Amino acid sequence: MSDATFSRLDGPVTFRLRARALAVFGLLVALVAGLLVLSLMTGSYPLDVRGVLATLAGAPPSDTAATVVWQFRFPRTLAAFLAGALLALSGATLQNVTRNPLADPSLVGVSQGAGLAVVAAIVIYPDLAPALRPLMAFAGALAVAALIQWIAMGRAGGATMRFILTGIGVAAFISAATSALLTYGQLDRAMSALGWLAGSVHAAGWTDVAILSGALAALVPLLFAASRPMAAMRLGTEMAAGLGVRVGRTRVALITLSVALAAAAVAMVGPLGFVGLVAPHMAHRLARSGVGLHLALSAAAGAVLVGAADLAGRALFAPVQIPAGIVTAVIGVPVFVWLILRTQARTQL
Amino acid sequence: MTAAALPRHGVAAWVAPLGGLVVLCLAFGWHIAVGAKTIPLGTVAEALLAYDAGVFDHVVIVDLRLPRAVLAVLVGASLAVAGALMQGVTRNPLAEPGILGLLIGASFAVVVFVGVFDLASPALIPLVAALGALAAAMAVWGIATAAPGGATPLTLVLSGAAITAFLGALVTVATLLDEQTFEELRVWLTGSLAGRRGDILVWTLPWLTVGLVIAFGVARQVTALAMGDETAVGLGMRVGRLKALVLLAVVALTASAVAIAGPMGFVGLVVPHAVRLFVGQDYRLVVPWSALAGAIYLLVVDIAARLVLAPIEISTGLVTALLGAPIFVWLVRARL
Repeated sequence: MSDATFSRLDGPVTFRLRARALAVFGLLVALVAGLLVLSLMTGSYPLDVRGVLATLAGAPPSDTAATVVWQFRFPRTLAAFLAGALLALSGATLQNVTRNPLADPSLVGVSQGAGLAVVAAIVIYPDLAPALRPLMAFAGALAVAALIQWIAMGRAGGATMRFILTGIGVAAFISAATSALLTYGQLDRAMSALGWLAGSVHAAGWTDVAILSGALAALVPLLFAASRPMAAMRLGTEMAAGLGVRVGRTRVALITLSVALAAAAVAMVGPLGFVGLVAPHMAHRLARSGVGLHLALSAAAGAVLVGAADLAGRALFAPVQIPAGIVTAVIGVPVFVWLILRTQARTQL
Repeated sequence: MTAAALPRHGVAAWVAPLGGLVVLCLAFGWHIAVGAKTIPLGTVAEALLAYDAGVFDHVVIVDLRLPRAVLAVLVGASLAVAGALMQGVTRNPLAEPGILGLLIGASFAVVVFVGVFDLASPALIPLVAALGALAAAMAVWGIATAAPGGATPLTLVLSGAAITAFLGALVTVATLLDEQTFEELRVWLTGSLAGRRGDILVWTLPWLTVGLVIAFGVARQVTALAMGDETAVGLGMRVGRLKALVLLAVVALTASAVAIAGPMGFVGLVVPHAVRLFVGQDYRLVVPWSALAGAIYLLVVDIAARLVLAPIEISTGLVTALLGAPIFVWLVRARL
């Protein structure tokens, strides 16, 4: 809604808002860098700051340090950041299109759809190349998104709270189907799928990083190209149509984009819950801004969130590793409850 | 609801309940007959009526299969009755122990109790489950009432989903921290009747009885309450006391079901809705018929869980979710 309010205001106000947003963005990027160093230091083979910096500069204190940093911790941390950014962008897009602050890819079953497709691939056809997983995930997630849209359409249209309730039901169904598939599949394969299903970056390598950054590089330009119609969609369908946006087509395109973003993340690191809900909301609280900057802020916030969640999951109960997806769920639910308490009045059923 | 209520007088009033009981007996027998080795129904009846310890099939039936069938009956009946009461009192077609977070609350309490405190006394598990279900119910109800607009179906389901996600994540943490408990509880956590011992039954039966007695006792008032608090007050009912009683019954029934078989979702949603199609809105009929239909439903689902992918057995809770979630979606579409 901020656009509607602020676009009417005078230049200096807009400028000040943008300056604040840019400052916040810079702060979040600095946080990402800080988390990166911390993450490279933390683990069963602890390193100090100097050791990490030396390793990154190409002069590792020991061979072990080089291996630990370059083979394990660096790709893992990058994967966490990238997945967080993807999920945050997905959530922000979905919330803008549905005009529903509670829309999150993991709540409405889109992540679970991607998960089911990938688990089916792992269990039924284990030799599938990891690079094909995002495609499977995308197909699964898109099918679920289409299904929910189709079911939720009706008397009141698809953009209501019914979308969320339908999604919750569909998510329950898909989770059960996935578990049944795991029971059916051979145990060792099922176990590899099981670890992935909790939403964990612990096994992420450079291939995952490459795929995640490829997806980000391919989808982000599309997203920013679509930020203008998205801004119009935030004002409601009538207003958007009045502004010359082809509502139906834009809606489908944006939802597809949102699904693709979530599917890429889910395919590589599993469903990380509530990131798509919390990160855009964090961005919104930190600085009010236009759609484009809000997307950038959301992506940075998502990266911080998942990076921190992964770090916390590793450090809190070491040597036991808590998957990042569990940590994000524990952080995300209170935010979700707060959103329920706050935003219900505006969005009627 | 335009369903024709069942006749209350004459021969027909006796035929329907008798028919229901016959179906229950058939499902019960079928449930026992199915397994790694299919045993003829005749032998099942023989084993139950004229037990002979020398016959191997009789031993299998009485020692292994009979307890499971009995547990399925009890779990199905208690979840269905709990769901019916919740739908009546909250006037919410989507209310159910699973959707509103009671099942995960009870499961979380049991996991913490067994895993963290390393206590596994079967006597205390129903109590712990009841406390967990109660706390979860209060939390969900509290969030939904505090939300603008009050406890609507939407806010209740959303806060139920929130509590489920939160406690679900904590359950995963607990199971990761203690791998051994995880192994023992993994199947139970998906809702399963496999390998459940009969001795848990002894400790659960009091809770179950209390829950069912209250449920049957308050059924008449719930009918009035389902029409609105004002109607109930106008009829001279003490609404606060009645709601507390219903909450007690729901918590006791949910706790019994979870203590026996783990969280089994959507049973409390599907069965009462199906029952209302036939008997209408009178809870004096809805409650007993839900108990009967819930027992039959879970027996049949448990048969399917063992047959569909035989020789692999799927957790019964997964099958109830696979059947129930589409019904939930349909209810969202049709009723909201």
